[in-house]
Amino acid sequence: MPPREGIYGLLAEFNTPGELVHATEEARRVGYRRMECYTPYPVEEAAEAMHFHKTRVPLVCLLGGLMGVTTAFLMETWINVWAYPLNIAGRPLFSWPAFIIPAYEWTILFAGLSAAFGMLALNGLPQLYHPVFNAPNFRNGATTDKFFLCLEAVDPKFSLGETRTFLEQFSAISVVEVDH
Amino acid sequence: MAFGHEHNGEAGGHHDHGHDGPKTLPASLAAPEIVSAWRTRALIVFVIATILSVFFAFTHEGKNHILRAYLLGFMTCFGFAGGGLVVLMLQYVSGGKWGLLLRRPLEAMSRTIWVVGLMFVPIIFFWKHLYQWAAFPTAGAVAQALQAHQVTLEQAMTLNAKRSMLNPTAVIIQTVIIFAILWFFQFLLNKWSLERDADPARGTEPSYDRWRIKFENLSGIGILIYAILLTAGAIDWIKSLDITWYSSIWGLQFLVGQGYAVLALSILTVILLSRFEPMKTMLRATEQHDLGKLAFAFVMLNIYLSFAEFLIIWSGNVPDEIPWYLNRIHGGWWYICSADFICHWLIPFCLLLSRDLKRNKEKMIWLTCFMIFARCLDMFWLIEPNFPDAAGNLHITGNIGILAYITVPVAVISLWGAYYLTQLQARPLINVNDPHVEEMLEPEHAH
Repeated sequence: MPPREGIYGLLAEFNTPGELVHATEEARRVGYRRMECYTPYPVEEAAEAMHFHKTRVPLVCLLGGLMGVTTAFLMETWINVWAYPLNIAGRPLFSWPAFIIPAYEWTILFAGLSAAFGMLALNGLPQLYHPVFNAPNFRNGATTDKFFLCLEAVDPKFSLGETRTFLEQFSAISVVEVDH
Repeated sequence: MAFGHEHNGEAGGHHDHGHDGPKTLPASLAAPEIVSAWRTRALIVFVIATILSVFFAFTHEGKNHILRAYLLGFMTCFGFAGGGLVVLMLQYVSGGKWGLLLRRPLEAMSRTIWVVGLMFVPIIFFWKHLYQWAAFPTAGAVAQALQAHQVTLEQAMTLNAKRSMLNPTAVIIQTVIIFAILWFFQFLLNKWSLERDADPARGTEPSYDRWRIKFENLSGIGILIYAILLTAGAIDWIKSLDITWYSSIWGLQFLVGQGYAVLALSILTVILLSRFEPMKTMLRATEQHDLGKLAFAFVMLNIYLSFAEFLIIWSGNVPDEIPWYLNRIHGGWWYICSADFICHWLIPFCLLLSRDLKRNKEKMIWLTCFMIFARCLDMFWLIEPNFPDAAGNLHITGNIGILAYITVPVAVISLWGAYYLTQLQARPLINVNDPHVEEMLEPEHAH
């Protein structure tokens, strides 16, 4: 992919989570949708302010679980009925009660792995480059004691001048342009 | 950024901005008026179900079915009263905000224990129709029954071998001991609970600690004693319906089943109460969600124990044990067996996976009612196939009395429910001398 040029967004820096949440709520209210909050620790209210409730991790987890149970059960059936039929105490070859436990274990295993790796994938990880790190104040602040709101340029409502004015009405320490 | 964390945006409008101050504790903590109306409804259901049950007495085998269905109702109510006590103790030892709102409903359940004890008395009068050890209490009677082909050789030998525990006097003594000890525990817990709220030093750290430790010390040992007593009770009242049957997981299975039913009933109670003050202010989506998760754990543990028992016996395939399952699978019982699996595990499991459902009040009301129904269905599957006319032969034709299994438990449980609601009205709905009360009045996820 050729390197993208131009502006990624405008990054506002705040001292407290309260200010960040307030600015996010306002941005959402006036119509911005493509935005992200960056905080040193999880701030539930920021996620709420962005109306970020749903992730697809549960779905990925469910699909993984279903895949696990199906794979294990069919594999056991295949082994016991066709591949290597054994007469165990005169029971039918298709003795499904005995298949349940391994199938259950595979359900848990696949669901767990899907949830973990699905979460990483949906988060876009591993990610070697992210434009916000171009902002000089981001590197230090975002992992220690500063709270950032980035309004992204892909948002249809984004315009460099208006968005900057919008962000500057809050008690932001700084509002900087972030290049791609 | 937010994977694995809770977002409560949809939980209600009161904390949209995340800056709301704490709510205030409602002035009156008394149970709302509506509880009286619920009790009246329960009594109406009791009367109707009793009248319907009377008709079954005139059908073939109807009286026997009424008696067995009554046992089902008794055991379900015992599950609520005893299980309520043990979940109450469980929340005292584990602590945490999840159990605070359940305390008063659980206390109300535990205070019904003496009524459940009284409910056992009719069983004593008729138990020779239920239990072989009651019908043939002496070695002589067993020998006679064997000659008359009323019992098999295996049953006769087991009856003699198990007589020291399973004979009418011993069972009455065990039952009295069980109810006396449970009554004593619920008496102390209920008494202290009121004293805790009336403590002159209430609201201070020393008072919190003193009461917390006092409750913990009684509850820890109480849970252990309850598990032992329940094992004895489950053997005496249900398991010994088939004298030859034994399974070491039985007590635990009932314990988990009681947890299942009690959680369903207490979640139902607090959600219904949350339409009115004071529960309206107190019940947050977070705690409801936690309770849903705990119910999910019990759903899982319940199927784990039931299936483990089945798998071990199925693998062993020993002639001593396997007929118990064959009687419950063959001859039409397969439908009940499957329905039990679907209602008791599959449906609650699939639904409780959903986070949104656990936080939704209306849906949880339906689900918890369904879970209580599933407990009764499971108990039906445990009880009815013990009897020769039903073992491996589920039939309705010429056996209309079996429908008493629907009406009699409804009557017994509604009568118990009416008393439970009376007890629920007897006290303020919130236990106030607890540091969690203040925390629960704060908006969810405050800084």
